[in-house]
Amino acid sequence: MIDSDNINEINILLVDDEKDFRAILSRRLARRGIHALEAAGGEEALRLLDDTPVDIIVLDVKMPGMNGIETLRHIKARHPTKEVILLTGHASTQDGVEGIQSGAFDYLAKPIEIEHLSRKITQAHNKIKRFQAERQEAEFRERIKQQMVVAERLVALGTMATGVAHEINNPLAIVRESAGWLQQILAKPEMNDMPRRVDFEKALDKIQKAVDRARRITRQLLQVVKDQSMELADPASMTEVSLKVLAQEAIALVEPEATTKKIKIVLESGEPHPIAWTDPYPLLQVLLNLLANSIQATDAGGRVTITLRASLEAVTIAVQDTGCGIPEENLARIFEPFFTTKGIGQGTGMGLYVSWGIVTKLGGSIAVESQVGRGATFTIALPAKK
Amino acid sequence: MFKTPSHIMLVDDEEDFVEMLSLRLKEIGENVVAVYSGSACLEALEKMEIDVIILDVKMPGMDGIEALQEIKKRFPLVEVIMLTGHGTMESAVQGMKLGAFDFLFKPADFEELTGKLNEARQRKLDQLERIRKAEAAMLLRRSKI
Repeated sequence: MIDSDNINEINILLVDDEKDFRAILSRRLARRGIHALEAAGGEEALRLLDDTPVDIIVLDVKMPGMNGIETLRHIKARHPTKEVILLTGHASTQDGVEGIQSGAFDYLAKPIEIEHLSRKITQAHNKIKRFQAERQEAEFRERIKQQMVVAERLVALGTMATGVAHEINNPLAIVRESAGWLQQILAKPEMNDMPRRVDFEKALDKIQKAVDRARRITRQLLQVVKDQSMELADPASMTEVSLKVLAQEAIALVEPEATTKKIKIVLESGEPHPIAWTDPYPLLQVLLNLLANSIQATDAGGRVTITLRASLEAVTIAVQDTGCGIPEENLARIFEPFFTTKGIGQGTGMGLYVSWGIVTKLGGSIAVESQVGRGATFTIALPAKK
Repeated sequence: MFKTPSHIMLVDDEEDFVEMLSLRLKEIGENVVAVYSGSACLEALEKMEIDVIILDVKMPGMDGIEALQEIKKRFPLVEVIMLTGHGTMESAVQGMKLGAFDFLFKPADFEELTGKLNEARQRKLDQLERIRKAEAAMLLRRSKI
């Protein structure tokens, strides 16, 4: 790849068996902003290309050993996106035609006119740039499409899950009242000497706890759907939010837990401080959820980093940890309702689903990147304050 | 301290729920009447004195909000506590704007429920007390004329 930091500088590989010719050409190209790496033959060129970020090759056809046409075929086979400009002998149009048929960008006959060559190189460079841009756009479109597929799936799952939650709520209320009634009866003075009283109390206590657990889940689920019932958040609740202040608030809330676990929390914020146009309270909820997850996944001595960035269009909040990471098969399902890898009763599997719902409602997006053993990064993108 | 029993009416189409909640309230000494629809609630109110109604928002036929409006129109002194699921929270708020005393999430915490029942009943008693005083004042003024 061409170094993107310096758009005006073009890097090429110049392959010719004549050292003096290469030197002269290199010097003259350099004056036109084209930096040439040199190779004396086909074999050397192929070796260099394996680990050199050059996209354009200027290649002499007539060389001892592996000739230009042969080298060209090898290059196009191994690096189909690289462009090759052939330098042919004065009267060898045949070589040029054969070269183009083998995938060369174009050919120039020696003696080379430097203006002509530099123009050809620029053209090849533009073609590669265009190709890269098209590929990036296609990748971007594909990514958006995948995100939409995931979103549709999550919405469908959520709709089903809340339907179930609604239906379960009523029988849950009956179970709760029935157990509660028995507990009331057990508390009466006339029941003091009841046989196996302790067993009854124990079982009723278990029923109550199980109902509470189920109730927590149905509540969270119904809350999400309520949140998502409106397409986007109420504009009236949107305000200018300094992400730095919000992040500091979140950190203050989880700091005690992190300190107990000997985990360091770091905040990195770009200048000027990113300002989002959003509803601060749900966003704080999401941030707390991500931080809690990170702290839970990270061992003592680890670190959780919040990074804030701003561009013209969006602000991003990244929460990165040095924890155990997430296996690839789980990454695709991590935002689904009820998806959890925590033990029974430890997590409801609703946290990230709720977070996803909130961020989506705020007109933003949330994504995850992770490798097992290398921690995880959750990135929230939100509309910037215009 | 001895407490005089409240007269409570439970209105919910979920019969098992109404039955169990009645049993619990009776267990702590309250008088409870259970009905399973909004129309049955209004019929029953014609025949008996009720302090507080626990009214489910979501019922087939006449729903909680309609029943509430009718109750408040015909029996304005009866206090109403709305019983709601999370999906019908808006109805609960609407209910309070229409004169309901408060609302509870279902499944409700029993302590919370009895707490609100007592507050609602107290409000009704306070209101009756004010009415009595006003009536007395009115009689007094008439007798002076």
